[in-house]
Amino acid sequence: MLTYEPGETVVHDLDPRSKLAVQIGFAATALAHTAPRALLGFSVFTVAVLALARVPLLRTLYAYRFALVILAVGPLVAAATLGPPWIDLEAGLATALASYRVLLILLVSAAYVRTTPVRESRAAIQRTVPGKPGQLLGIGVALIFRFLPVVQSDLRTIRDAMAARLGTERSARERATTIGLLGLSRTFDRADRLSLALRARCFSWNPTLPALAFSQRDLPALGVAVALLLTAFL
Amino acid sequence: MATEQGDVDLVDGDVVHAFARAALLATLLGAVAPIAIPIPFSPAPITLQVLFVFLAGLLLGPLWGTVSILLYLAAGAIGLPVFAGMAGGLGVLVGDSAGYLWSYPLAAGLIGLLVHRGTDLRDPAEVSTPLVVVALVTATVLIYGMGVGYMAWLLELELWEAITVGALPFIPGEVLKIAAAVAIVESGRIDTI
Repeated sequence: MLTYEPGETVVHDLDPRSKLAVQIGFAATALAHTAPRALLGFSVFTVAVLALARVPLLRTLYAYRFALVILAVGPLVAAATLGPPWIDLEAGLATALASYRVLLILLVSAAYVRTTPVRESRAAIQRTVPGKPGQLLGIGVALIFRFLPVVQSDLRTIRDAMAARLGTERSARERATTIGLLGLSRTFDRADRLSLALRARCFSWNPTLPALAFSQRDLPALGVAVALLLTAFL
Repeated sequence: MATEQGDVDLVDGDVVHAFARAALLATLLGAVAPIAIPIPFSPAPITLQVLFVFLAGLLLGPLWGTVSILLYLAAGAIGLPVFAGMAGGLGVLVGDSAGYLWSYPLAAGLIGLLVHRGTDLRDPAEVSTPLVVVALVTATVLIYGMGVGYMAWLLELELWEAITVGALPFIPGEVLKIAAAVAIVESGRIDTI
């Protein structure tokens, strides 16, 4: 699984907003181009980012295995044709190039995930999205981070209990209904206790935000982000 | 760090209640992501996530249902392992399954609007079953329309190729999820916000 890991790399030191800007710029330009020469440039950029952030390539590819399946199957489906000559290489190649850039986009975003703790991302959201929506988004993301293991363990308990009661013998619809119903009622119970706790702690629209500041190191990253964004229009 | 010095602007009790439920439903949506069964020749594995997208619209209504899914997408974007196969990252939101993911908030909002006819929620157990089914089927069409359309554009596939890869294998699973959602709502064991 791909998660944040503390480290000393240049990418760790950047402000999360510059890193987000680079990702957006890269995604924009990668979605706009599929020419082989452009893809070569994107590959060099991706390798540089992965090296700077010291992202382990194989583990990252494994984390995105579900996406990789479609990216591998896509070109095959595109190349297959009904009737002679059965295989349309040109269409397959076009899809293969298009799939490859998606892989690069995933790898560049993996560098962000690996180098940015959730609290910094949260601060970036709350400082970038204005007003109450930004507050709710930031706090909501922090709550999801906090409660994810709790809800996962709830689900495990439910599935264990189902397995102990021969749940695997039941129909798929019945199993989905049971997981949905029990999962939801447990989760909503937690939510109701959480809302009481939030009110007891004066949950407000204007709390003091976590600290976050651009530094000189961010200038090159922001420059790269703008350059990438502009190449999308070439 | 600049300390906030203005008066405390408390969040209303109703909003806190709805927000807490939206945030935790988003968590649940992320927590069921690992329960994914990959199937051959198909991109997105079968997951229960769409079931909870349905339930977000049915139980939280058009406003908070949409908020809940947006929170889920934001959490995935910054790297929490909430997408299918426990993946995360901004790249997933423009990747091959991005069309499906971006359709979720719209689908939840659409279900909420059709079933509740506005932001005042009514008990979905009292709404006629055909209406609930129509809302869920419409939402499913929206999800697959956006998912397949985006995949076809992104990977430069013909439309029917994208439908073969991204929609056909899932139809039995979707019927099952609609049936489960209706059963959950009609049990009346879960109240709306």
